[in-house]
Amino acid sequence: MKTTRRGFSTGAAITALGLAKGAGAQAAAVKIGVIYPLSGNSASAGNYSKQAIEVGADVINNGNADLAKIMPLAKGGGLSGLGGAKIQPIFADNQGTPAAGQNQALRLISEEKVAALIGAYQSGITVTASAIAERHGIPFVNGESVAANLTERGFKWFFRVTPVAIDFARAYSEFLREQKAAGQKVGSIALVHENTEYGNSVGSVIGEQFAKDGLSITQKIAYSANSSDVQPQVLQLKEKNPDVLIFISYTSDAILYAKTMKEVNWKPSIMIADNAGFNDPAFVKSLGTTVEGLVNRSTFAGGKPGSVPALFNELYKKKTGGDDLDDVSARGLQGFLVLADALNRAGSTDPAKIRDALKATDLPAEQMVTGYDGVKFDDKGQNVKASTLVTQMRGGKYVAIWPKARATDQVILPYKGW
Amino acid sequence: MNRYLFFGALVVLALVYPLLVQGIPVWERMGALVLLAAIGASAWNIVGGYAGQVSVGHAVFFGFGAYAAVVVYTHLGWPPIAGAPLGMLLSVILAAVIGVPTLRLSGHYFSMATIAVGELVRVLSSTSDFLGGAQGLGGPAMPRSVFDLSFLSATPFYYIFLAVLAFLLGLTWWIERARMGFYLRAIKDSERAARALGVSSGRYKLYAYMLSGAFTSLAGSLYLCMFGFVDPESGFGILISVKMVVMAALGGAGNLFGPLVGALILVPLEELSNSYLGGRGAGLTFVVYGAIIVIIARFLPSGLLSLFRPRPSKPAPKSEIASGHAD
Repeated sequence: MKTTRRGFSTGAAITALGLAKGAGAQAAAVKIGVIYPLSGNSASAGNYSKQAIEVGADVINNGNADLAKIMPLAKGGGLSGLGGAKIQPIFADNQGTPAAGQNQALRLISEEKVAALIGAYQSGITVTASAIAERHGIPFVNGESVAANLTERGFKWFFRVTPVAIDFARAYSEFLREQKAAGQKVGSIALVHENTEYGNSVGSVIGEQFAKDGLSITQKIAYSANSSDVQPQVLQLKEKNPDVLIFISYTSDAILYAKTMKEVNWKPSIMIADNAGFNDPAFVKSLGTTVEGLVNRSTFAGGKPGSVPALFNELYKKKTGGDDLDDVSARGLQGFLVLADALNRAGSTDPAKIRDALKATDLPAEQMVTGYDGVKFDDKGQNVKASTLVTQMRGGKYVAIWPKARATDQVILPYKGW
Repeated sequence: MNRYLFFGALVVLALVYPLLVQGIPVWERMGALVLLAAIGASAWNIVGGYAGQVSVGHAVFFGFGAYAAVVVYTHLGWPPIAGAPLGMLLSVILAAVIGVPTLRLSGHYFSMATIAVGELVRVLSSTSDFLGGAQGLGGPAMPRSVFDLSFLSATPFYYIFLAVLAFLLGLTWWIERARMGFYLRAIKDSERAARALGVSSGRYKLYAYMLSGAFTSLAGSLYLCMFGFVDPESGFGILISVKMVVMAALGGAGNLFGPLVGALILVPLEELSNSYLGGRGAGLTFVVYGAIIVIIARFLPSGLLSLFRPRPSKPAPKSEIASGHAD
């Protein structure tokens, strides 16, 4: 199936080449190196992102009439700034190891002569792969790695499009303050987090941001994600009865909490979950209907009909045979589109010009596949307009409710549960 | 005579290899990767090959080396390579601590114990803030001085690794011919018989284990200097242990050059198959990689180097089986 598709687009490219007339020699395709986990533990995430980027490349090379109304890049005919050169992603497998990621980055730069690199999903692999790009002076655009220190290395060729923990904390804080203004009670907030790296770090970032914004966290519960019983924790919550409850959890513990809360029949008036476990299809399928009104975050939600996310989602669905874009694949695609935009404006495959174009990137919110406020990089290469959508569970599905500009549905509170 | 000529040619080839592939970064790097893998597998070979104690938890030492290097950088600001002696020292101590109880176990039980220790250390490392937890730690992002060993080309690494490997193989060659080598082979053939002849088997197994651990740790430190990042999975992951065993077994365990031959085949195979097949997804790389290992294991169970030697007479494998039941 994949081979057929590749065969088809090559054919299409050749046809396009044949039809292109005059203007001297047709510009050679611009190669972009894409490093993702295509095998190993995270292979499914990597392969979804790969397909999303293939959709993106197809839109740039062959055009899409509906998208072209919003995004100049979707007019088709390749990168106009480079004389109509096609954009050609070259995929490489990082095998889930930092060593393979770095080896492949070197190969893409030295053998494939790529103009820029994208990747590499796992933060640790992004560390090693981007170090090679930095030494060779090749731009590296990261769409999805959230380790805070990635942009603290003083790199000059590294750009990160994705929001990180502090952006999520800000989103929750703003959302809660808006609800407070609308008359909801947010006086007492309980934070329940699993006790490894993920839960601890996100939990402390949220704590700091809330303290700054005058929201008081009155109860903190750390627990082990593989515990088989969470009744003690839920009973503690029931006793204190906070207005707002925030979960930072993996999948099996998320399922336990949802079940146990129903058993002891206790619910707060606002319940927030930080993605991860509560977004896992396994959780949504089995318990979606017991957490009606649960507030969550995602950088991707379907979007209004005719919007960029909705149109890309349709194309992606067609390609994958029914799968929707999700938080990870949409962020990967967004990273690719940011790089393509910079390439187009650079009008050259000279790495320094691409970097300058990346630095000058200023994309508006309506051109985003993901729910960002846009793309604009600071001196460290972090996208300062990165943000997240706040979603809410409605009848077994998450819908976007915040920020208002990109919401598809109204906020409904208090939390309903089962 | 012929043998020395052949050996000399190999040494010359090893020395001039970077010149032959100059300007092709992927092949420059390939040479360094082969040597790095050969250091790890040769270190394993001392205890796993010569002494016949099949450790499947050598990643513990590798990770100690890698983390020692990155920790001296993160917490003290030293160049990572300065952590190598620390890693080796800690690994020798750790080898003694693990070795004293586990080397009493024989055959599979020793292997299982080493796996258990390896996994235990991996899990512990992922909960330690000092070691960067599950996210791991990175070395110097940009080189501050030449001691950070942060080079654009892999050629300097190639010569550093070559020197370390030469030293390690020289040491192994010396042990092979010294009293300890005879003791180790005696232990491998039949520990009970060796002990009956007065070989202090426990002590020599422990020496081999400590020496092996020290050099595996050095390989870990060198790995960190080259790649600049380690997390629990890439430092202590079981795949690292397994690769050492597979490389040594492929070339010929208990043979001086066996691990190097194994690395010479497996590393390029892995890199090339990933480069040419990996981008298509679906993990084709590992299918090819696995198939070749299966074929070699089926037709050349005592390693590739056994092709170049007179076949061992029949009783040899028998005594190996016997040693599995000794104790």
